[in-house]
Amino acid sequence: MIKTVTGALVCASFAVAAAGPASAADYKVGMLLPYSGVYAALGQDIDDGFMLALEEAGMVDQVEMVREDTEVKPPVGLAKTRKMVLEDQVDVLVGPVSSGVLGAVRDFVDQTKTPLIVANAGNDAATGENCSPYIVRVSFSNSQVNRPMGQWMVDNGVKSVYTLAPDYAAGQQQITAFADAFKEAGGEVVGQEYTPFRTTQDFGPYLSQAQSTNPDAVYVFYAGSEAINFVKQYDAFGLKDNTTLYGSGFLTSPLYVDAEGPAAIGVIGSLHYIPTLDTPENKAFVEAVQKKYDRVPSEYTVQGYDAGRSFVEAIKSGATDKEAIAKALPTVSYTSPRGPVSIDPATNNIIQNVYVYETVEGDDGKLTQKLLGTVENVKDAPNGCEL
Amino acid sequence: MSDWSYWAVQTLNGLQLSMLLFLLSVGLTVIFGLLHFVNLAHGALYALGAYIGISAATATGSYWAGFAAAPVVVALTGILLYLGLMKRMRRAGPMNQVLVTLGLIFVFVDIFRLVWGDIAIGTVEPALFTGRSELFGVVYPTYRLFIIGLGALVMAVLALVLSRTQLGAMIRAGVDNDQMAACLGVNVEKIFFLVFCVGCALAGLAGAVAAPVFSAHPDMGTEILISTLIVVVVGGMGSLRGAIAGSFLVGFAQTFGTVLLPHVASLLIYALLALVLVFRPTGLFPARA
Amino acid sequence: MFRQSLLKTLTVLAILAAAIAYTFTTGYFGKELVIEAATLAILAISLDMIAGYGGMISLCHGAIFGVGAYTYAGLTVLFEVNPFLAFAAAIVVSAAFAFAVGAVTARTHGIFFIMATLAFGQMAYVLVFENKALGGDDGLAGVPRLDVSPLGLDFNNSVQFALFAVAAAALSYAAAAWVLRSGFGRTLVGIRVNEARMKAVGLTVWRTKAIAFAISGALAGLGGAIAAQQTMFVSPELMAWMVSGTVLMVVIFGGIGTLVGPIVGAVVWVFLKHEISSATPYWHIVAGTVLIITIVAGGRGLYGQIEYMVERRRLKRLAAAGVPSTATGREDETHA
Repeated sequence: MIKTVTGALVCASFAVAAAGPASAADYKVGMLLPYSGVYAALGQDIDDGFMLALEEAGMVDQVEMVREDTEVKPPVGLAKTRKMVLEDQVDVLVGPVSSGVLGAVRDFVDQTKTPLIVANAGNDAATGENCSPYIVRVSFSNSQVNRPMGQWMVDNGVKSVYTLAPDYAAGQQQITAFADAFKEAGGEVVGQEYTPFRTTQDFGPYLSQAQSTNPDAVYVFYAGSEAINFVKQYDAFGLKDNTTLYGSGFLTSPLYVDAEGPAAIGVIGSLHYIPTLDTPENKAFVEAVQKKYDRVPSEYTVQGYDAGRSFVEAIKSGATDKEAIAKALPTVSYTSPRGPVSIDPATNNIIQNVYVYETVEGDDGKLTQKLLGTVENVKDAPNGCEL
Repeated sequence: MSDWSYWAVQTLNGLQLSMLLFLLSVGLTVIFGLLHFVNLAHGALYALGAYIGISAATATGSYWAGFAAAPVVVALTGILLYLGLMKRMRRAGPMNQVLVTLGLIFVFVDIFRLVWGDIAIGTVEPALFTGRSELFGVVYPTYRLFIIGLGALVMAVLALVLSRTQLGAMIRAGVDNDQMAACLGVNVEKIFFLVFCVGCALAGLAGAVAAPVFSAHPDMGTEILISTLIVVVVGGMGSLRGAIAGSFLVGFAQTFGTVLLPHVASLLIYALLALVLVFRPTGLFPARA
Repeated sequence: MFRQSLLKTLTVLAILAAAIAYTFTTGYFGKELVIEAATLAILAISLDMIAGYGGMISLCHGAIFGVGAYTYAGLTVLFEVNPFLAFAAAIVVSAAFAFAVGAVTARTHGIFFIMATLAFGQMAYVLVFENKALGGDDGLAGVPRLDVSPLGLDFNNSVQFALFAVAAAALSYAAAAWVLRSGFGRTLVGIRVNEARMKAVGLTVWRTKAIAFAISGALAGLGGAIAAQQTMFVSPELMAWMVSGTVLMVVIFGGIGTLVGPIVGAVVWVFLKHEISSATPYWHIVAGTVLIITIVAGGRGLYGQIEYMVERRRLKRLAAAGVPSTATGREDETHA
């Protein structure tokens, strides 16, 4: 029984191998994304956004897509990257979602001179001390999204905050960037706690602690199911009644705001994209995503779209091989659904607007995003990056 | 907030977590005690309970529909697993059981993804228990008080059934020595089956009860699994007393660990587990001394 | 009891020959898979030693593997220690860690042993994850490979590194087989079959268990140090409990208590998983189903089933020839 099953699988695997690359596409793109595991939904949004950009440019037939699942595990991500670069010989890589995977593949991508368009992973170091001329980030950096919020909150009368975030690199970078800016603007951080990453589901003890310090506001970074749990429990413990919840805008992303329900109303976040931006580019984009995928685009969809769009722009500028694409990518600039974007020549990180938004109940009773303020052209300091 | 009420709220937090862990682990431990079966898929059944609870609540608009549906559906799933797989694994040894049920976890995770998608989903608490309650100046979410009450109720019912009824006597006999019990005319197989169903139903109930507090996502069963196993092993497998003791120890260690020793909080429950096992290699209150 | 049968020898040699031939003929990625399979095989052999023969189902072998990887990476990256020294240190430190775990958990059995090892594995994982000096969850990058230029070799050449990994796997098998055939190996099997009796004849059971764990840990650490060089990067994911679970699956899938089965399991796992995961994001369901089928079908595993059938025929033949049955059969190899 087992032998027959394995036999069949082995045969199947040979069939797959034999089918091999046989298309006449001009370019090969390697998608290095989590198609399984905790970030699978993010991976899918990025992939969908990328394909939309190719479609819009009429380039779908010119590009052969290679998709590999990182499983959100750095060693797996690195193995898959090696496969795509050495075996499939892709012209450009797109991904990854996890900063851990990005850290793992960084040296290899740099050494093999393979252009990598970072479509999510926000680790500051990737466009700071560990930057590379082959790595261009079109998503965001952890500090870029949070820094503007420091000044904004002080301007809006918040004098003291309590911060919470999961205890891992992204959590620390996001909170540190915010806290530094907040203190610089004259605010006071009255308490700071990091919760064990991915093992904390019950935030009760932390919420009670935050409550006991009596801050003007609570500022957090959480994503995925942690964000849902946090927002709901924040409301359940009654903190929302007199202490506004602020955070890195991933907290109430369109991806999971529905699961948060009414608890998300009134939460204020800062993010590089919200689907309710009132620009012609964004309206067309939202409509296209609605039509093709029947859902509201998230910041991840737009990151995927901009990864695709910057690739398209690089090709349009005449780049044909890896080296040329890598050179062309940092020079792209256009108006994205999220506003005007360009690549910072000093770091290869995107320069973009950061939006402060509040989650509100729309006319149709569904939760939507209300724009409160825009901080234009936010750019990171080089932080030790030498390109 | 006064100092007194702060610690009172943290105690309630510990109590609430303990009760949730109890609902989850009591099924696992009794199944082990009776059937000598290590069911790693118990966490997946909890996740299934949460998903069913949310789906039923969304479909009918009532939390209580999910509350009722989840234990039933999960128990039915448990029966299928029992008849199809676990019955024949009964004598296969702990390692084979661990591995078969590990395989089941993998299968369940992908089934959740296929049916409910990759994105976490949530639901709201019932209207009856929204908001907060105040008692002696201590303000606490009402729904969490409901969880504490429900846990205490299940605890009391199980304790009564086990200690005061004939069924309880038969179960205890089966845990002590199943062959001897069978010789004395107890239909051991039937009791096993019943206990297994109740254990699964409680896992489903725990899922439905947890759904408004936590979100349901494909990996939630795997995430809770370790805590549940720690509860069961620390308490000693097979005994209600062990499950209660284990739940309280882990629940309070986790809650007060995060408050008092935030930097080693994530180490604490593992250290607790290691410590107990080094000095009591079969847990604190094993069913058979 | 371990017996280096003809079937075992032939299978190992066949896999070795296939691995070498494949390394020379395949593309870049095929070599990566060879290295991955070789390191997984080392880890699986190390687990089978204590699980299959010693009856100790460890759920912390991923952590021990990670201790090896981190020792090598930490010493070379942070302290710029000579890679050969770091390599040796990785093996020693892993063995010491394993010895401690083995000694402390020696009194527990069955599921309690499994959980106790899980606890220690998770503690190691959390400590590494939260240790900023070791890079926390970001891990450590820029791990060098062994500098073998004095020998005229270059491990940055993937053919040579793949052959090195394969050779290490073959040596690990030989070492494990040697240990299991020795008096110590027999004592270990004796503990699994009847711990009380071994105690009664005067054996210090905990010490034997701890030493067995240490030997197994040394092999796991070796695997970890090679894995760190392959990826030139280490991260806490190496130590997560699911890694230990996966290795256990690999051992079972190939055939626990056969020492060769784990190698077969590792090879099949690495190559199949790669194919399935590029075909579908739902590869967990396939892996889970295969695992369930393997166990329900008797739990002997791929290679274990073959060995079982060959061995049964041999015993029948011996019986027909009038040779009295000796303790070479598998009557003590059940894992009830």
